[in-house]
Amino acid sequence: MSSDTPPARIAPAAAGVEAAAPDTHGGAPDLLGRRSRRALGWGFFASELSVLFRRRRTWAMLAALAAIPILIAVAIRVTDGGDGRGPAFLDRITQNGLFVGMTALVVSIPLFLPLTVGVVAGDSIAGEANTGTLRYLLVSPVGRIRLLVVKYAAAAVFCLTATVTVSLAGILIGIALFPVGPVTLLSGDSVSVGESLLRSLLIAVYVTLGLVGLSAIGLFISTLTDAPVGAMAATVVISIVSQVLGQLSQTEWLHPWLFSYYWLDFADLLRQPIEWSSFGGNALLQLGYVAVFGALAYGRFASKDVLS
Amino acid sequence: MSDFAIETAGLTKRFGKQLAVDGVDLAVPEGSVFGFLGPNGSGKTTTIRMLLGLASATAGDIRVLGQAMPRRLANVLPGVGALIEGPGFYPFLSGAANLRRLDAADGFAPAASRAARVDHALERVGLTHAAGKKVRAYSLGMKQRLGIANALLAPRELIVLDEPTNGLDPQGTREVRHLIRSLASEGTTVFVSSHLLAEIEQMCTHAAVMSGGRLVAQGTLDELRLAGQTRARVLVPAADASRATRILTDLGLPPEPEPAPATPGTQPGGAGLGATSGTRGSANGPLPTPEGHFALPGEGAGGAGVGESVLSAVLPESVAREDVVAALVAGGVRVRGFAVQQASLEDLFVALTGEGFDVVQ
Amino acid sequence: MARKWQRWVPAIAAPAVVAVVVAGGVFAASASADLPEKSPHDVLELAAQSDVQSFSGTVEQSSDLGLPDLSSVPGGVSTGSSGGAGGGSGDSSSAAENDASLASALELLTTDHSARVYADGSDKLRVQILDQLAERDAIRHGDDVWLYDSSDDTAVHTTLPDPSTLGEGEAPAPVPTDIATPGQLAQKFLDAVDPSTEVTLGADTSVAGRSAYDLVLTPRGSETLVGSVSIAVDAETGLPLQVEVLARGASSPAFSIGFTDLSLDAPSGDLFDFTAPEGTTVTEKPFPTRDELQGDGSTDAGGTHPEPVVTGEGWGSIVSLAVGADASELTSSPVMAQLLTPVDGGQALQTALLSVLLTDDGRVLVGAVPVDALEAAAAAAPAVPAPPATAAPAPAE
Repeated sequence: MSSDTPPARIAPAAAGVEAAAPDTHGGAPDLLGRRSRRALGWGFFASELSVLFRRRRTWAMLAALAAIPILIAVAIRVTDGGDGRGPAFLDRITQNGLFVGMTALVVSIPLFLPLTVGVVAGDSIAGEANTGTLRYLLVSPVGRIRLLVVKYAAAAVFCLTATVTVSLAGILIGIALFPVGPVTLLSGDSVSVGESLLRSLLIAVYVTLGLVGLSAIGLFISTLTDAPVGAMAATVVISIVSQVLGQLSQTEWLHPWLFSYYWLDFADLLRQPIEWSSFGGNALLQLGYVAVFGALAYGRFASKDVLS
Repeated sequence: MSDFAIETAGLTKRFGKQLAVDGVDLAVPEGSVFGFLGPNGSGKTTTIRMLLGLASATAGDIRVLGQAMPRRLANVLPGVGALIEGPGFYPFLSGAANLRRLDAADGFAPAASRAARVDHALERVGLTHAAGKKVRAYSLGMKQRLGIANALLAPRELIVLDEPTNGLDPQGTREVRHLIRSLASEGTTVFVSSHLLAEIEQMCTHAAVMSGGRLVAQGTLDELRLAGQTRARVLVPAADASRATRILTDLGLPPEPEPAPATPGTQPGGAGLGATSGTRGSANGPLPTPEGHFALPGEGAGGAGVGESVLSAVLPESVAREDVVAALVAGGVRVRGFAVQQASLEDLFVALTGEGFDVVQ
Repeated sequence: MARKWQRWVPAIAAPAVVAVVVAGGVFAASASADLPEKSPHDVLELAAQSDVQSFSGTVEQSSDLGLPDLSSVPGGVSTGSSGGAGGGSGDSSSAAENDASLASALELLTTDHSARVYADGSDKLRVQILDQLAERDAIRHGDDVWLYDSSDDTAVHTTLPDPSTLGEGEAPAPVPTDIATPGQLAQKFLDAVDPSTEVTLGADTSVAGRSAYDLVLTPRGSETLVGSVSIAVDAETGLPLQVEVLARGASSPAFSIGFTDLSLDAPSGDLFDFTAPEGTTVTEKPFPTRDELQGDGSTDAGGTHPEPVVTGEGWGSIVSLAVGADASELTSSPVMAQLLTPVDGGQALQTALLSVLLTDDGRVLVGAVPVDALEAAAAAAPAVPAPPATAAPAPAE
């Protein structure tokens, strides 16, 4: 078969179909009109987000994340403080409710956030393969690269949503249960409530950035299998392995290369002045992970036979 | 420009050591309703996946709607609607929401008319009443309809339906058949795969038969029926046998020994399958005669009686069956029985693909 | 199919690009500067004449002293565990306080740190030790010195005495902000340069993006554990940018402190205006006398203040201090118990650069020499305190 390709004739041909059978589509001829150029994909991205956020599972995960600061705040309220042990910022909550969000982030960064992100990222391709929707998306046609990009972008949006959920739930329950006032930073300086909220937002962005590398790993794993549960579990396990390696002094040379290296350095945004180096380092590191695992995911997914 | 909606040459797919599709040369004429027959595991679905760019071919070329696949995939697929190996939907979304998502995935579909398009497609498959229901609550047949609705979302040049009547009740099956006919009347090429011959026979203009990863027959339904060899059998007294043989041979019906049960490709004679439009020669061998013989009047269950002979010959189209009897009688042959067997497609199908439940390797 | 493998090209290219970028960054950082020729003496002059007093920068300190990991010791090094939230350090027993301060001092020395330093003039300095999820600050603004620890939300306030009240020949007492920068530490080494030290220049280097001369101080004697001290002196301003101390025979520094980022602009003034935040436990501490300071870390405040005895010269100096019964208190603390190994006549701590000997008769000997030398010194000198000597302090202290 010759490899020279006739010019695209889909659009005119489709119009020809219409012309040949005007009566069948006659009720609404305009609705079958085709765009002459392919859309950029914002519509599909919006559709992806709506699928993600219409799942009960997504809401259950967000509710669980929101429960973390609420549990912390209520426990401290009921026991009236504590003995000073526990996660960072815990003993500041009684003085200032705005610290509930920070404490909750410290608590959720090692496990809960990676867990939910692992579920969403691990499910991205494998989940579609499992429900059988992957083949229909691909023949729609969505384009494999576009599908990967949209899936990844949706996972990143989830990272932000999850982080903001923890932070916001913490701030709200903190305001409800504890006094609120100027926030004492790690450096001992105080900033106004407004600036502290701004910094909370920055922290949410920072933590989100820290999770996008994990999302890329999850996306790649998700292209390897048709079993979403396996991809989710593998992603979560990798996040735990990374943190364990980060604790071992024997692997110290490896530490700056682990995607979890900067996770708890979000506190650099609570210094006066803000220490931006970890923000930049985090962003660069995660960018590296996204580039490497995004490329791996592309290589795997673009050459994969979709047999599910 | 090619006249084929789908064309493949030497299409081959290998999974490890197993050859799932082996050198398939498909030719689906534009505007046809093309039945793609074959038992389970014969490579139909794998072929369809390759046609739609879901799986890559190990070897061979594919052209869909005149363009090379999968290279021109982004241009080709918007003109193709497909139902592949059963429906696949998000159970937690409603039927309409599922269609809206798949419509959004098509970059050529304008968002403004999305809702109208979805409504229209649902209406065509009779799912309007269940549009808002979660797919989780759909029956298998409803899911199947929804899958077909997805294939109909946009105006298509080609619609590929893999086992479309799976899970449908007789009423649903009839509706699908009707739908396919109406699509065909609009000029859309419909490529229907099935393991049920009757289904194909009722709605298709063309058909191809897959067995063990190979394409064993292809053509219009009429061509296939012809390939099934209309045979004439004559029961004569043994004494008249040689005379009858001479007369039949003169007529162009050289009698042959009764064929043994089908072994494809071993039999001499018989018309090869007509290749569509003559542009591509289907390299399919002569077809075997169906296994089940028809009984002649006066013939016992065990065959010809004592002192009688049965002469059997392929009856060419050019020879009218009454002329055969007339010529025999005129030649002094005492015809004790005469029968013409029109081979059914089912006989052909069984002969081509074998019988029983064994999945062909 | 040819197209199939092509899809893996990005997957191979992306790690390659990342590797190239990383390697490129390392290269750029280590690209040696091309500086005008200078003699070691010129560089010493340059450093001595440096008058940079306003800057802000980030300092990285790393240590590889060969000490065990102390983070697992109870009441030990890990930040945030020292001191109770309720009563503050005032309620703790003095032994526990000693242990905690010892642990914290050891922690500062033995683990890697990142700190930000802001200086404006000679009397405004702020040092922020950046711990994970916590910070320790030392702020000097004029006569006010604040120490703030965010992990337990405590602050210590001290007012410095007026320098004019100091006696003749009496140096201002050290304050905690005194050895926080590479410059301050380098000055200590440079002050101690004497005939026992050979001064050479290494290859031009680059620190915190600035070109620098590499001044190498090598002890001539063989009695010390210190192999060499290398000081990167900023070519432009003479400001020491980095100090690396190598143990004898080692190829990588046992201790190093240096800027990773430096700006010579004066930092914002409000950084030096510190008031203890609301809810913080504030301890007012009177400024310690010089005597108290010399006893600090080895004895309780309020006891007798034994004078340290220095034997040996230059790099091989050994400081000996009689602490009496306190020694047993020291050795019994869990931190010390983990560090010390029994030797003849006492217990010893050997690090890559420094040795400490606690004798059974209640003396502490410290020096940048092997433990054997300390043992010999302990045996040679009786437990009776000798008259105070005025030799230079051991450089590595």
